[in-house]
Amino acid sequence: MRKFLPVDDLARDERFAAITMKERFADQRTALNIDGAAQDKPRTKFRLTPERRDASDGARGLMHGIFVGEIQALEGAGRTCFDFETAGVAKTGTAATESSDMDVPFALKLDMARQCWDEARHVEISVKLSDWMGTEIGQYAENTVLFAAACSNDPVLRLAGVNRALEGLAIDVFTTMKEFGDLAGDPYLEFCEDWMLADEVTHVRMGSDWLRKVTEHDPERRKKALDFQGVVDKLFSYGGTRSDSDESPIGLARRFRSLAGFTDDEVEAINEVSIQALDERKARIAGARAAADHAPAG
Amino acid sequence: MPVTVSPDTFTYVSFEAATIQRIADELVGALGLQDRIVTIAVDETSPLARTDMQIVDGAIAIRAASGAFEDTRKPRQQSETITATALGRVLLRASDRLDGGFGEAPPDEELSLAQVAAWETYCIGRLERLGVHVNRQRWLYNFRNRHGFTDAGDVAFDALWSSPGLTWAQLCAISESALANRAPAATSAPAQP
Ligand SMILES: [Fe+2]
Ligand SMILES: [Fe+2]
Repeated sequence: MRKFLPVDDLARDERFAAITMKERFADQRTALNIDGAAQDKPRTKFRLTPERRDASDGARGLMHGIFVGEIQALEGAGRTCFDFETAGVAKTGTAATESSDMDVPFALKLDMARQCWDEARHVEISVKLSDWMGTEIGQYAENTVLFAAACSNDPVLRLAGVNRALEGLAIDVFTTMKEFGDLAGDPYLEFCEDWMLADEVTHVRMGSDWLRKVTEHDPERRKKALDFQGVVDKLFSYGGTRSDSDESPIGLARRFRSLAGFTDDEVEAINEVSIQALDERKARIAGARAAADHAPAG
Repeated sequence: MPVTVSPDTFTYVSFEAATIQRIADELVGALGLQDRIVTIAVDETSPLARTDMQIVDGAIAIRAASGAFEDTRKPRQQSETITATALGRVLLRASDRLDGGFGEAPPDEELSLAQVAAWETYCIGRLERLGVHVNRQRWLYNFRNRHGFTDAGDVAFDALWSSPGLTWAQLCAISESALANRAPAATSAPAQP
């Protein structure tokens, strides 16, 4: 089996339609207030709550995003089990047992295998929830950026990308969905999200613990991993779709992130890059529209 | 008379005004609204799936954000089914208001979220019978979100969905029968002063 699978080779059947980050950023539509001169105008609130007029459709879209996110989390954790050699074990086809930085402890692989088991269950739960909410598999475009950005060839960056950035985003999304289900009185949604959320907290914890252990004597490598996580966190904010601002549909789940081992400073840093991503998106769209307005006719 | 669509050409999305017009003309014919002036203005700068409608001197003016006609599988592309569902909903609401029985219905912007969901259920049930492909479960979920996840709510949904003709008072009575059986508000909902 091939190691380090490129994102374009992920297995999907004809029900799925992919969208790239480039295509997403090329979309110059927005309902956000992007008028810099109208800062005093009330911001449009987009947090996903039952009060939103399009609440049920918003919840269905987010649920489908969770479903494809679970598939990619399964693929990411599965790849961490398979892509790297096990430290202290003879390499495939040789008798050599000397370790390199790119090898990982067996116990780390065991944790990733446990995560695969969880993610596979989450995929099944997400399919059932989508049925319940009236959504078909593949009804929304799948953005495979989670896998693309999280699957580094360095195991430490992999942990930072998959288990800290991607799983951290899962905590934010599940918390928003759980609160939505609770307020809407949807007994299944609230219950399922709560159980999956508990798993995601564990997945982040495993990533944080292994990142610390593997880089125990290599502060430079640890810093490189955390810097990489910052870049991925900004990307996973999807132009401010996730942040503390009520303009973002998904909030930052401070309490559950803290339970997962993120420090207050780390959560604040994620909020800062998310708000930055939101502001950059507004500026990009405002700039593109202004350029179109001033383009010579014909 | 034919439906008028604006703009003629789109830059933010890959929509065809002629496609929107064809779908709208078919619906207008099926709903017996041929004698009405119907205009559709698309706001292609907004990705929201919102539609608004106003009736002025018997003419129906529809405003739609581009997300209302968009293929969720292919962003910025148009879906004929989604366009038909969005236009069908709003045209049926216009037809209800114009044909009588809905005289005492408040203006759209004053409707409660439960009233909107009940009216949508009544519209989408009729659209399905007109041959438009709809996902019944989606609209059941929408109705449950506004009326509670209860057996009484589901009975009310069935009544609205399958009814060929209701008045505003009848529609409200069905909606209220579901709300009366709704479970108490969730614990995390803010207390009312
Ligand atoms: Fe998961
Ligand atoms: Fe996870």
